[in-house]
Amino acid sequence: MGNLYHNKTAQWLVYTAFFLGLAVIPSFVSDDFLLNQLATYGVYGMLALSISLCWGFGGILNLGQGIAFGLGAYGMAMTMQMQSQTESNPIPPFMLNNSLDQLPWFWEPFSNTAAGLILSIAVPTLFCAIFGGVMFRARVSGPFFAIMTLAMLSAFYTIILDRQPYTGGVNGITPPSPLQLGGFEIDPYSSTAYWIVLAILVTATVVAKLITQSSFGLVTQAIRDDAERVRFLGYSVAGYETAIYTISGAIAAFAGCCLVMLVQYVSPAQLDVGFSLSMVIWAAIGGRLSLLGAMCGAFLIQGAQSYLGDAFLATWLLILGGFFIVVVRFLPNGLASLLESALGLLATKPKTPAAETNGDAKPLPAE
Amino acid sequence: MDLGSLLNALILGLSIASIWLIAALGLTIIYGAAGVINMAHGEFIMLGAYSSYMLQYYLGLPYLLCIPASFVIVGAVGLALERGLIRYLYNRPLDTLLATYGVSLVLMQGVRLIFGSDPKYLAAPEIFSSNISLGFASISSFRVVILLVTALCVLGVWLLFYKTRFGVQVRAVMQNKEMAASFGINSSRVYMMTFALGAGLAGVAGSLFGVLAIVLPTMGASYVVQAFLMVVTGGGSLAGTVVASGVTGELQSIFAFFTNDTFARFVIFVLIVVFLRFRPQGLFAQAGARR
Amino acid sequence: MDFTRRRLLTTAAAASAAAIAMPNIMTSDKAYAAPLKKGEPIKVGLLFSLTGALAVPEEDSTLALQYAFEEINKNGGVGGVPVEPVIVDAKSDFGVYSEKTKELILREKVTALFGCYTSASRKAILPTVMQRNHLLYYPTCYEGAECTQNTICTGPLANQHSQDLIPFMVEKFGKKVFFVGSNYVWPKESNKNAKIWLEKAGGELLGEEYIPLGSSEFGPVLNKIRDAKPDFIFSTVVGASDIAFHKQFKQEGFKVDTMPIASLTTGEIETRAMGAEFGAGHFLSAPYFQSLDNPTNQKFVENFLKSKYGKNGVTHYNMEETYLTAYVFKAGFEKAAAAVGFENVTPRAIRDHSGGVRVEDAVSPEGLVWIDENNFNTWLKPKIGQCQADGTFKIVKAAEKHVAPDPYSIYPDAGVCTKDGLKAPDGKVRTNVI
Repeated sequence: MGNLYHNKTAQWLVYTAFFLGLAVIPSFVSDDFLLNQLATYGVYGMLALSISLCWGFGGILNLGQGIAFGLGAYGMAMTMQMQSQTESNPIPPFMLNNSLDQLPWFWEPFSNTAAGLILSIAVPTLFCAIFGGVMFRARVSGPFFAIMTLAMLSAFYTIILDRQPYTGGVNGITPPSPLQLGGFEIDPYSSTAYWIVLAILVTATVVAKLITQSSFGLVTQAIRDDAERVRFLGYSVAGYETAIYTISGAIAAFAGCCLVMLVQYVSPAQLDVGFSLSMVIWAAIGGRLSLLGAMCGAFLIQGAQSYLGDAFLATWLLILGGFFIVVVRFLPNGLASLLESALGLLATKPKTPAAETNGDAKPLPAE
Repeated sequence: MDLGSLLNALILGLSIASIWLIAALGLTIIYGAAGVINMAHGEFIMLGAYSSYMLQYYLGLPYLLCIPASFVIVGAVGLALERGLIRYLYNRPLDTLLATYGVSLVLMQGVRLIFGSDPKYLAAPEIFSSNISLGFASISSFRVVILLVTALCVLGVWLLFYKTRFGVQVRAVMQNKEMAASFGINSSRVYMMTFALGAGLAGVAGSLFGVLAIVLPTMGASYVVQAFLMVVTGGGSLAGTVVASGVTGELQSIFAFFTNDTFARFVIFVLIVVFLRFRPQGLFAQAGARR
Repeated sequence: MDFTRRRLLTTAAAASAAAIAMPNIMTSDKAYAAPLKKGEPIKVGLLFSLTGALAVPEEDSTLALQYAFEEINKNGGVGGVPVEPVIVDAKSDFGVYSEKTKELILREKVTALFGCYTSASRKAILPTVMQRNHLLYYPTCYEGAECTQNTICTGPLANQHSQDLIPFMVEKFGKKVFFVGSNYVWPKESNKNAKIWLEKAGGELLGEEYIPLGSSEFGPVLNKIRDAKPDFIFSTVVGASDIAFHKQFKQEGFKVDTMPIASLTTGEIETRAMGAEFGAGHFLSAPYFQSLDNPTNQKFVENFLKSKYGKNGVTHYNMEETYLTAYVFKAGFEKAAAAVGFENVTPRAIRDHSGGVRVEDAVSPEGLVWIDENNFNTWLKPKIGQCQADGTFKIVKAAEKHVAPDPYSIYPDAGVCTKDGLKAPDGKVRTNVI
């Protein structure tokens, strides 16, 4: 019978409470640093969310989420950089130092803030749609797709490093002033920046949650569990896989934009293999089958890194690695599955009417 | 451009190929036989370099003896890891990827705690610090050593897998674990041995790379991605990895000859993606393998 | 169910909308002053990586600074109060550099930051430093072409670094040279400068190759060098790659006496890691060597190595440049305090008063240096050392006069870096050019 964990109403209530909790934080916190830090965690949360959607619900392990994230981040950095260029000073300083005397063609659209912001999301999304489409049509799946994303990520990383005059090379791009939107400057340390990130995070989560509960989401979960059967039933498996991979990429692109808004900096490190792997780790530890769980995983790991990392200086990576091994070994579905089992114990007892009407009689969605 | 330089580039390509191959060899066995995606492979390589350093620095063992000794030490580490962790994860291949990533963090930091984060020095006999000149072409003698050791390892693995009773067992388990078990093959033991063997081969690679480049806790990270690409491109079989490494090494050397090193890498990554698009199962996929 | 979902959606949307529409009272005041009180220690931030790939050079930097501040505190502190270093670990991750910078400035409210080794990490933290009008002491060599109002650098700029090295090598070994560097900004900029000196010395550039950062495969490059047959190699390869480069140089049969490597990076630490047999005979240009023969340096080496910070058993140019930042800070702070009063000292005030401050022979192991009044880099004397069989360096040439730092020496069109910003040829002054 119904486990409260699988009760949709309860889930939505928990999500609401969680985000309301996040929304009131700025009223209590006046510490600029903490606000900025929490906003950065929000970005990591978005990334974990995107991994959870793609991997937990779509069954597509993506070790190259850094591509969409990095392209979004570079787009945003280019937009912000162009905001600080003027008539008399039309091209970014790092290009001058690389003997470019005019703006490269692909930088041109970023002179317009609106166009730049749209491109920052559109380019990575389009990339995912094309790359995913091509790969899934060829029925590349499982570990093979994971390795392909890894190779693609390394390719992007290498080319961005190498094309220094256009990308700033390993030093990346450092826009000298914060993002200007409609005449306002968005101070990265203000509650405005925090709320922008939160609003995007909330929107992304609601969209992702609705997707997982829609019939579309149920088909992707079926593909995750057995792609062949779904194919025999007449569904276009490649189409569904491409769609979920692309949506997940778009969320990562938003995350990239937000990060650059907060830190005013982008470098190839955003496309580093290690960083993409840590996104997967966040989702795995929090629980890839739960959107909220994955997000909490990101908050938990990054929070611990910030606050315990210095205290356990030399042993921090040992602790992190050990914790990770233990979770994978004993809790394959992450910390969220602990909650699931705990609530499962309760579910054997008589239930509330709400749980009874909602929680039974159909194959359980993953969360 | 003259022919001599191109010839040199081709010979160097062979050497680069042998480096890619020895880095990927252990991984091939582990992935091919047990389906485990071992992200800690780079750290096994690093452990190999550190074991050689330790044996040389504290016990004064000659370098050439350090190579087999590293095989044994890292093989033992692999054995312990398999017994302690990996064997619980055989039916969850993607989880082995994650768990071994955790292992790689632990190994890297553990070594850093013991040996410090400064680079260590691994000495090789003076004779390896010279080059062999053959008219137009020339190659360093240490690269020849790597080439020979790699060839020896490949030969050894091939003999083991195709000419011994153990090899038959391994291939049986690869094709169908349950069926093999019903014929009395102890698949758990087979997995354990292949994992230890794969780890040991990484140890050999490490003791070679320590002389060629540098001994650092982070040295393994740069090898694991490229090793994986070789294994997957090859399709998880021994012959596949050999061919994939050979082609990639030559391509890298030739691209680097005509353009530059960074761009050569970019081209190779893209070529691998394109190749796998058209042949997702890799060069020589094992017929009838599970998965 | 649908009802709930819709209601939740509206609530969520309304909440986000309200959040954005809320009057923005938080656009914080950018002027930032450290709250200094007489009698309380001055907090400074030490922002280096203690773990990860960058820990090799940066851990030494942290130790050198801890040693320097302990020495300063023992001798009366800065402006009469002790300095309290706040040490954080940037984990070799640019995201963490940025986060820790914010933590040090906003939460710890330090008076100045000392940190970074790579240009990439400096670029990662500068937006925060500039936005809060704070102060970064950057303690190592870099490429220049930056003009901010918030940094002071004690390492050699690209224009100072190879000025003597290239003519020296051309004179001693011959005119033909091959450039090898890691593939990033600093080697490329350094090579542009080196080309200018090469042209003046009548040399000839045979080739220029860049290796991916961290790569240890030098086969293709060494093949190209073999074909080109230069008289010497000019190297700006950094880190682990540098060690691989020297090893493979010898393994491929190159001879140090006929084709030495003239490097801007291969110092005492690198030589020890590669083994002195691979380093011996090559050349390095740096403002400091452990073997410098002057009383201040001898005292510095002796005291440092026997202190608890000298556990790594070596002093090298990067550590010494880091050590100097502490004394530059002391001098700048005291000058600012004398001008505006101790309580009113802000990071920006320290920077503005640091122009021209000197670290005298009696304190500076490399000898007298001073901060340029316009671009806030350091006037110093580059020296050339040759690595010996025991891994130490023998000084073969030292500059006679101090060399001026010029961050825009090869970009005269960009303008001149002045105290208030980059002054373009058209007379416009732009601040914070990075």
